[in-house]
Amino acid sequence: MQEFIGKSLAVSLICCFVLLSMTGCIRSSAEQKYFGIVKVPSDNVLRYVTGSEPESLDPQFVTGQPEARIMMALYEGLVEYHPITMEPIPAIAESWEIGPDGTEYLFHLRKNAKFSNGDPITAKDVVFSFRRGLSPELASRNANLAYYLKYAEAYNSARAFVRNPDGSFLVKDGGAPAAEPAAKADTFGPDSEFHRFIDAPERLTVPGDEAGRKKLTDKDAKMKALLEGKQFVPVRAEDVGIEAVDDHTVRLKLYQPAPFFLGLLAHQFFRVVHQPTIEKFGRAWTKPENIVTSGPFRVAAHKPYDELNTVKEPNYWDAANVKLAGIDFYPLDEQTTMLNLYKAGELDATYNHTIPAAWNDTVKQFKAEYSLHPEVAVDYYSLSVKKPPMDNLKVRQALSLAIDREALAQFQRTKKPLVDFTPEGIFPKYEEARQKVYTELLTQQGSSMAEWKARIFDAEKARKLMTEAGFPVQQAGSGWSTPSFPVDKVSITYNTSESNQKIAEFIQAQWKQNLGITLPLKNMEFKTFLPYRSAVEYDGVVRNGWVGDYMDPFTFLNLFYSQQNDGATGWWDPKYDKMLDDANKEVDEMKRFEMLATAEFYMMQQQIIVPLCTAGTSWVKKPFIKGMYPNPGTLHAWKFVYLEKDSAKWTKSMDDIMSEKDPAVTAQIDQLVATQEALKRSKAVEKTAE
Amino acid sequence: MLSFILRRLLIIVPMALLVVTVTWALIRIAPGNFYSTERTLPPAVEANIKKKYGLDRPWYEQYGMMMLNIVKLDFGDSLRYPGQTVNEIIRRHLPYSATIGFFAYILALLIGLTAGIIAALKQNSIWDYGSMALAMLGLSVPNFVLGPVLVLVFALGLYLVPPSRWGGISSLILPVITLSAIYAAYIARLTRAGMLEVMRSDYVRTARAKGLDEKTVLLKHALRGGIIPVVSFTGPALAGLLAGTVVVEKVFAIPGLGNIFIQSVFNRDEPLVLGIVAFISILIMIFNLAVDISYGFLDPRIRYE
Repeated sequence: MQEFIGKSLAVSLICCFVLLSMTGCIRSSAEQKYFGIVKVPSDNVLRYVTGSEPESLDPQFVTGQPEARIMMALYEGLVEYHPITMEPIPAIAESWEIGPDGTEYLFHLRKNAKFSNGDPITAKDVVFSFRRGLSPELASRNANLAYYLKYAEAYNSARAFVRNPDGSFLVKDGGAPAAEPAAKADTFGPDSEFHRFIDAPERLTVPGDEAGRKKLTDKDAKMKALLEGKQFVPVRAEDVGIEAVDDHTVRLKLYQPAPFFLGLLAHQFFRVVHQPTIEKFGRAWTKPENIVTSGPFRVAAHKPYDELNTVKEPNYWDAANVKLAGIDFYPLDEQTTMLNLYKAGELDATYNHTIPAAWNDTVKQFKAEYSLHPEVAVDYYSLSVKKPPMDNLKVRQALSLAIDREALAQFQRTKKPLVDFTPEGIFPKYEEARQKVYTELLTQQGSSMAEWKARIFDAEKARKLMTEAGFPVQQAGSGWSTPSFPVDKVSITYNTSESNQKIAEFIQAQWKQNLGITLPLKNMEFKTFLPYRSAVEYDGVVRNGWVGDYMDPFTFLNLFYSQQNDGATGWWDPKYDKMLDDANKEVDEMKRFEMLATAEFYMMQQQIIVPLCTAGTSWVKKPFIKGMYPNPGTLHAWKFVYLEKDSAKWTKSMDDIMSEKDPAVTAQIDQLVATQEALKRSKAVEKTAE
Repeated sequence: MLSFILRRLLIIVPMALLVVTVTWALIRIAPGNFYSTERTLPPAVEANIKKKYGLDRPWYEQYGMMMLNIVKLDFGDSLRYPGQTVNEIIRRHLPYSATIGFFAYILALLIGLTAGIIAALKQNSIWDYGSMALAMLGLSVPNFVLGPVLVLVFALGLYLVPPSRWGGISSLILPVITLSAIYAAYIARLTRAGMLEVMRSDYVRTARAKGLDEKTVLLKHALRGGIIPVVSFTGPALAGLLAGTVVVEKVFAIPGLGNIFIQSVFNRDEPLVLGIVAFISILIMIFNLAVDISYGFLDPRIRYE
């Protein structure tokens, strides 16, 4: 028997050795110019992986990034993302005007926009798409993106207006009956009955159902008296602040100015869908045989979990400028699998964060293919500020100061250290305003910008603060110890993933090394983790991150707005809310940024979070793909993308791609924005004439 | 025999319902839900979703509705992929898994039986050591290692076959080999042990004593008894293989049922999880029944009354 085992083992070992040596040979043969096979697809079809299988092809329904990129191919909205900056550029709307008070938008639609079945796209279709997204029956998870529109939230949450027996409605502040207003002198755009309604003082809304109202009146006696004997009129889709002024003009009405709203309109939620198709087929409208789309590409075939094939849409209004014959989307989420396909030349580009840590050093050598650019996304740790010991500001500050962020960024390879909350290198104008505001505020506090920047890592100060907080840090041999710190009350919680674990271990080590505090780690399955984090059930420290929805710092600062916020810290401050509201009312861009920066400074002073890093794009594309940029959201406007056959014109280095001018793309963008520029010029001339 | 089969078939129904009930309870106990993402939903949006999917009703009503649908063999729509029914998803993705699983098992049988028989016949020879060493390797190299190694050598090194994705016979080669390795190894070991035992049994000695030639003894008498352990193993193994295997499907990006199953659990896609669980449990029970029936044909000593 022993002999049997011995001989068997020997043969096994030899087999292992042979296999391993074979893989070794292959590894060393990778010394080439490009990462794997580079061959321009002969059919002019781009093969792209955008993440896991899309939930649906319904733009109002889907929420994820993988879907967003597919929706950008299939549907178009009023505006589209600029391929490089992600700022809004004309799409179905060829131009737009924003009213003097910043709450009204007038969009002029182009007259030649068509659906994939040839039907014209008119203002009515835009209105239908917006209302559909907000309908409680669709139950879209993105509905709150449109809550800035007047009465949108009331409609989406099935609320009701309150009507007096005389037919007048109660208004929100004061609840006094509102007379039906006459046309105002400052009407923006043509006058209409709807416009008079939507421009009138905001009506009071209450829950639409009896049970909800009872809950409200039980709490509030004044409200109970006010609602006595009143009628309740449900808020309808037709009451939401969007109006088809005529076939080619759409008017939006917001509650309050939201300068970022235009950028938000490029989101898939606001893209245009075909009403007759949806009404005819119901839930089955997105099946390839039924679907009607509005974008530069149409669905050719869809094999779930295998591939989604799209082809160029001949009915698309700008078809002449769509260069690809089609895009094949492969639904993959295994990083190694997609890089294997990429290397074998069966895939042309991947989405962001797709390079596995183990491949990073190899892949980043291929400068013509690897992109590492700042993203509109941050990683941070939330702190449970309501629970001891995290309720102590000095403890929070000490924990934040005790992390060497430079080392963390180097360790993660694809990230940049972050000291504030909004990502760095994404909003240059805002950063300029922030620099100015911070310098002023810090001088007032007797501090300086240099001292602020030193928050990137200051172990000495961290120990001092921790001691002041009542947890004395003592020298222990060559390290430190804080015996009185309640380590049983604090842990680092994160959702299970290799990279989250590595970061948590890194930070655990930093706190041990610099403060002598060893916190336990706790990992959780994603869906279990989400409610645990948002209900602030965690002890002390929890992993968090945020990807911006639009190109404005408000998409980050908004995280701590209102009592029910996404920050998962338990922190809420009406003063902070007011600062943000006031900033958004400001029309002057730089002044608004300064006000936002003041709010950010105020929030950062409370140290409710531990900022860690600005995320990096980290993806690859073959050098022959042009017009595809590592913009801050890795969201590609597909009509700018083309495959270059001439290898002399291929991308030489992804590092320079954002500053290099590609004449083909530049000309295309210039042509698109010309209509908006012309409108701006004519308005300026009108103003001077006045 | 017939009444035995009928009895066993009848048991399948309550068993499947029990499995579904337990699964349903487990999903309900697990925290999180199908609609949660990194972003916290406003209460109004969450209320709309709960109303749409009947989650605002008491649990017994929801359970009752679910059971009623299942009795009608209609698992409803997937929560994650609205507009696609569970039945449609299973029907669409089963063939991928079944194809790979079927070929993998055939390959495993070919390799495993051959290696096992040779090892048993030439016990303690180099043939025995060699095949058992390979079997040990097959058992101890997990398929999440074997798969990528094969890809590295044959797809990315020699560019002989595509590294992953479904499409054509060439794309089947690596996943089938990867999947079959561990089964081939099991079968080889089971066959060797079974054969060694049978070769020493009385009836084989009797067969030899009667003067039958070695080939007839081996193929007609010894092999039938010797592969009974393999047959027992085949039932659950084949059911599992046909219903999909997560690791291989992930590594090779195959749109099979195993991949979908795991994703549906992570997505908390309740109808889809229940549908696949019910399907797999029924499949396993049917295969086990088939195995029990086949014993009767293989071994004359086993009879069902």
